[in-house]
Amino acid sequence: MSSDDSHLLIGRALGQVWKRENKTESYVTIPPALIIMDSDGAVWTVGLRTRGTEFNVLRNDLDTGQFCERIEYLNGVVRLYGRDGTRRLSRSRRHII
Amino acid sequence: MAGAYSLNGAALTLANQAVTLTFINPIASPNVDFSFRRFWCGQSAATTYTGNQRVQLNTQVTAFPTLVNVAPAKLANIDAASVISGNTTGAAGTSGVNASAEGAGAKTVIWADAFSPANGWLLVLTPDEYIEMGAGSANGLGMHFPVAATTLSNWSFGCTWVEG
Repeated sequence: MSSDDSHLLIGRALGQVWKRENKTESYVTIPPALIIMDSDGAVWTVGLRTRGTEFNVLRNDLDTGQFCERIEYLNGVVRLYGRDGTRRLSRSRRHII
Repeated sequence: MAGAYSLNGAALTLANQAVTLTFINPIASPNVDFSFRRFWCGQSAATTYTGNQRVQLNTQVTAFPTLVNVAPAKLANIDAASVISGNTTGAAGTSGVNASAEGAGAKTVIWADAFSPANGWLLVLTPDEYIEMGAGSANGLGMHFPVAATTLSNWSFGCTWVEG
């Protein structure tokens, strides 16, 4: 999705387009935050599917296939904390490892 | 009858005042009880995000807000439709969003918080915290901004509950 003058980062969540001038700050965690906007303009949030105490993880409104209890943005990296331990988005931003 | 349901508002512009975002009033007894599981709100686009926004969950027994008529959506196709329907009045057995006027009735705050509009707010209640409202409880449950939002446009919000 293209940017506009006042919003460099544009992604999707809750069926809507979300626009931000800056990426989310470090240590913001879902929940209690609703969304994380990463430096690629991707919006991370949790969906309505659950697995025990974990939620499915959505990136730009698409299910990543991952479940976690918390999503945290730390030093520019999206991290998932769940029963399987900690996973994070790979350096190439193509995989969750 | 049992199922999970949501009530949503998407990319809406709020009134420049205290606003009830979602309001659900269980149906008269005898009927199914409501168990609320999740509440969220966030602003999808603004030029600037300044300060924090207060938010409350509250109950109200009379003189309800004037709402936009929105009916609950079922979360699973296999479920029956919700026992309540959309209406503008907030009366028993109805739901609505984005109040244009707050009713004169007193609100009892049962949850109060504040959040950064840049990050939004998601409240996932643990099993011990589920907000239970029985049929015929004579209470509506609202998610409410007690003060006007700094920027009024592009708010998305909602809640989920289980009927049964």
